[in-house]
Amino acid sequence: MSDVLAVNAVNLTKAYGSLTAVNNITVQVARGEVYGVLGPNGAGKTTFLRMLFGLIRPDSGTLEVFGRSWPRHGVNSLSGVAGFIESPKFYPALSGRRNLRLLAGLDGGDAADRVDDVLDMVGLTARQHDKVRGYSFGMRQRLGVASALLRNPRLLVLDEPANGLDPAGIRDMRALVRRLADTGLTVLLSSHDMGEVEQICDNVTIMKAGTVVHHGSIAALRELAPEQAHRISTTDDDRAAELARARGLEVTTADDGLDVRGPQKDVDALIADIVDTGIALRGLTRDETPLEALFFMLTESAPAGPPAGLDAATGGRR
Amino acid sequence: MTAAVPAVAPAARRRPGTATVLRWEATKLAAQVRSRALLIGAVVVPIAVVLIFNTQLPPKDTIYGRHIHTSGYAVPLFVLAFAHQWVLPLLAALVAGDIFANEDQHGTWKTILTRSVSRTQIFWAKTLTAVGFNLLVLVLLAASTITTSLLVVGSQPLPGLSGQLIPAGHALPLVIASWATAVAPVLGFTALAILLSVVTRNPTIGVASPVVLGMIMQLVGSLGGLNKARRLLLTTPFETWHGLLTAHPFHAPVTTGVIVSAGWLVVCLAIAYLYLRRRDITGG
Repeated sequence: MSDVLAVNAVNLTKAYGSLTAVNNITVQVARGEVYGVLGPNGAGKTTFLRMLFGLIRPDSGTLEVFGRSWPRHGVNSLSGVAGFIESPKFYPALSGRRNLRLLAGLDGGDAADRVDDVLDMVGLTARQHDKVRGYSFGMRQRLGVASALLRNPRLLVLDEPANGLDPAGIRDMRALVRRLADTGLTVLLSSHDMGEVEQICDNVTIMKAGTVVHHGSIAALRELAPEQAHRISTTDDDRAAELARARGLEVTTADDGLDVRGPQKDVDALIADIVDTGIALRGLTRDETPLEALFFMLTESAPAGPPAGLDAATGGRR
Repeated sequence: MTAAVPAVAPAARRRPGTATVLRWEATKLAAQVRSRALLIGAVVVPIAVVLIFNTQLPPKDTIYGRHIHTSGYAVPLFVLAFAHQWVLPLLAALVAGDIFANEDQHGTWKTILTRSVSRTQIFWAKTLTAVGFNLLVLVLLAASTITTSLLVVGSQPLPGLSGQLIPAGHALPLVIASWATAVAPVLGFTALAILLSVVTRNPTIGVASPVVLGMIMQLVGSLGGLNKARRLLLTTPFETWHGLLTAHPFHAPVTTGVIVSAGWLVVCLAIAYLYLRRRDITGG
């Protein structure tokens, strides 16, 4: 039984009329993993999660959660599973606490006894008696996490949990997810933010237009990623570009400077060269991280599939 | 979000039964200002109506209108005849037409369907809540109307529809039975509102459409040459109490009305149930 995957989705397809939202995807999440499903808007992430919760039915393929599937086990397949899809929604005229108590009634077991604990866990104790209609977006997200934790889940599914949060909220949400993951919980997280997934997840599936373009560990993804890019702005960008090429760096010209890509030590040496040559350095910023660059390469390439060097079927390196 | 996270134990819980889900829906309904106002209105409005009509000239063109000052038993029948035109369909639809669609309005289907209850449980909990609420409203409306009428006008004998005089002792059961005939069509309209609530996912349409459809049915029913079709309309059972108040009462229309209403109830609920079961929850 311990070999049973937390999530085992095989060849899932879902179409709405002529639009294929999810096209023959396979996603497998082991127990205890923090797994990211990454992709731009419209990639099919939410459709996949909705199928996982039984909110929509796949046209073909199989989907098991801890060995249970909707066709065979119905709502029992959600035993030990909790989370939210897109932004969590509640009854606006009721307080946060009242909403949780109502939802606990639909969970059964000892869920009702956990209301105080989960409110404390997400930092909403002080506002628990306020009506949800007065909650900020971030507070609703946290209430969504609280409502999921009421179920004392083994698998926590979070769809874009940091969406709409301010920087402090994002930091707190990531810390909470990490702490939950440290307890042995399996976490399945969807996001369009590579940085978020990189910080939280062990493994990742990258989707694009309903298909999987890559899956594997974050570590393996890092190996595939290009070098870090820097944006350099000087008083003489043409001369700076020559210096960069002389160092073997990849250079592209932008409106407000140069994009330079290469090993960090070579970029450091280039900066020294520029200053030694008497060119004034006006700006030096890190562009997208290597993983973000890879993410854009994977998801913005031609619809036919992943970029050269990656296997279309497995998403891994050829 | 700084509190310690407790260790996660494997989830082992018993799923809530349909009675628990029913209690959940009833709690939710009881928390709504509208539903509480409706219950209060079902008691208070008839008192106001009876008091107002008691000071007006009797409306002689309406059934029992000419008797509302001479018999307290006539007033509830006059109110019933008026209420069935659009008030009862509206009362039936106010909660039933909204009870499913408001989950769409709030985007909460995904919230409740990711818990430990099935769509079937949710469907029956909502349906039974709407049915129970509407029956309660009807009972309060009838009780308030009858009680107020007897207190304000008095318990004089009731003129029958074939000219006979019904003694006060017999009139009360007949008035109650007349109001009871409204139960079946009210349940039929409840099911119709539930169907529209499920299918349109729009509370406004769920509430307003049964009233409009009821008016159209009354219009169709008033047309000549449609006797067979008239029997199948959901508004016709509202008039079957007339047969109870003749010198030689006839009950066949009441029976037919119950069967027709039950047919509407079964068909509407079956379609609504299948629709909800098969629906992809994509919104919110």
